[in-house]
Amino acid sequence: MTYLLHIFILIGIYIILSLSLNLIAGYTGILSMAHAAFYGIGAYIAALMALNFNSPFILNLFLAVIGSSILGALVGIPSLRIKDDYFIIATFAFQIIIFNILNNLVSFTGGPMGLPGIPQPVIFGIKISSHFSFLVLTAILCAITYFICNKIVKSPFGRILKAIREDEVFTKSLGKNVSAYKVKIFMISSGLAAISGVMYATYITYIDPTSFTLMESIFIISIVIIGGAGNLKGSIVGAVVLVMLPEILRFVGLPNSIAANIRQMLYGGLLVVFMLWRPQGFIGEYSFNRNNENG
Amino acid sequence: MFQQYIFNTLITSSLYSIIGISFAIIYRTTRFLHFTHAVVFTSGAYFTFLFYKLFGFSIYFSITLAIIFSLLLGCLIEKSIYKPLRKKQASSMILLLASLGIYILLQNLISMIFGDDTKSIRSGVVKEGINILGARITPIQIIIIITSVIVTILLLLFLKKTKTGKAMKAVANDVELANISGISSNRVILISFAIGSALAGLAGILVAFDVDMTPTMGMNTLMMGVVAMIVGGNNIKGIVCAALLLGFAQNFGVWYISSQWQDAIAFVILIIFLLFKPEGFYGKKLRKQSV
Repeated sequence: MTYLLHIFILIGIYIILSLSLNLIAGYTGILSMAHAAFYGIGAYIAALMALNFNSPFILNLFLAVIGSSILGALVGIPSLRIKDDYFIIATFAFQIIIFNILNNLVSFTGGPMGLPGIPQPVIFGIKISSHFSFLVLTAILCAITYFICNKIVKSPFGRILKAIREDEVFTKSLGKNVSAYKVKIFMISSGLAAISGVMYATYITYIDPTSFTLMESIFIISIVIIGGAGNLKGSIVGAVVLVMLPEILRFVGLPNSIAANIRQMLYGGLLVVFMLWRPQGFIGEYSFNRNNENG
Repeated sequence: MFQQYIFNTLITSSLYSIIGISFAIIYRTTRFLHFTHAVVFTSGAYFTFLFYKLFGFSIYFSITLAIIFSLLLGCLIEKSIYKPLRKKQASSMILLLASLGIYILLQNLISMIFGDDTKSIRSGVVKEGINILGARITPIQIIIIITSVIVTILLLLFLKKTKTGKAMKAVANDVELANISGISSNRVILISFAIGSALAGLAGILVAFDVDMTPTMGMNTLMMGVVAMIVGGNNIKGIVCAALLLGFAQNFGVWYISSQWQDAIAFVILIIFLLFKPEGFYGKKLRKQSV
């Protein structure tokens, strides 16, 4: 039972991550490979606050979201100048720089040893420590994230994002400030990603930089694409499928040494298969098929 | 000490420039980021390990076979995945995502077959290295530098003088126009995959002889090559200059900050270039997004 609850909590964390990335990738049509960086920044801000100042959970969550969205703006602003392939490489670069900072500033982040003993959240006097209460908290945060994302994509703001995705120059010609929209959506998206970071840090009570690598970013973007870019429900489907599928392998009785490899091969293979035959994912509305002439 | 830094810079730069050039050859004709290149690079090392250590072939025969197998791997990926995708008019984003998928698939396949631990193809004891101008340098490091110079010159000549080289330039400039003029773009792209993959395999083998191999060694090295390509402006001379700049910054950066920051240094250089000189050293000015 605890095992099932654990899987559900992980699914919840990945739903928040993929919903928030969907705003950038699916709705605005910009591939970002730095989402795990924001996930990590959220986790580290909350963990460091809790460990050093023993500050309340809600405050940590708030600071993590703010801190991550400020960094999100740092990635969003270059997206105005750098396009397509080069922007993807720039997000790669950002991801690797953040990983290096987490890994190398040993006195501050604990470096490769990580940060152990992160206190579990206490909300309005209720201590969240059992798996079940964590699941409830994750579900609430998931619902809030979904509500925010849904509000955004249904609003005029969201329609302009879609317009940017379909034709950026045309949207500009309609007098919309494309740059401001891009920076705003980057800030919102990275802020929301921080929520799952905070949840992860307080749930596992230990974090180290290896949870926030480039591979993790690729995993999150795979969830968004396999589930369906440009559709919020797609992100939920993607997270459920990609987190559950490898767990099924556990029951087939594979030895642990190769299970991790098989798990990765499975989603790598899925990514290729979907790109070949169903680039819009399970229930997506956008398939990255806008052909860009700009190198 | 100073001479040692100079040599280290040369070695690092030679490596980055081989990788950068091998990646750029493919990128020029296909216009998408072929991340599976990282695994083609790693495969060179592991094929050599397989033939040399497990099958017991002679070292030169193993290396030749490994380069051929890397070449075939690159061509196979192009034929079975990229070509069908291009036929469907897939955008560069889709091709890129597919290449990431293949990368994950193959990299895990390698680590499943060979294990995650470090494998070595260096024979016998670690050699101390030769003393040149007060710097210690191993024979393999000299070979890396010489190979890089030879490869660069040969490729420059190939692109300038041969018909195929010119066809590659034509496809790089405009695929449709090249097709109209009777150049088969699919054939040219396949050739560029063959050359690029063989070079990547070769680079993988050289690295493995220098510092051994792990299944994940490809991505980091490839990223440095990609940085060199972008900073250099997707042009062979530019890539060599950019590789020198990167190697210099990384090796001399160690004087001021610790060596763990080498990756970060390279990527900070990349971001600075992307922001302030996106066309790179030698590249042409980028066009504004065409409508």
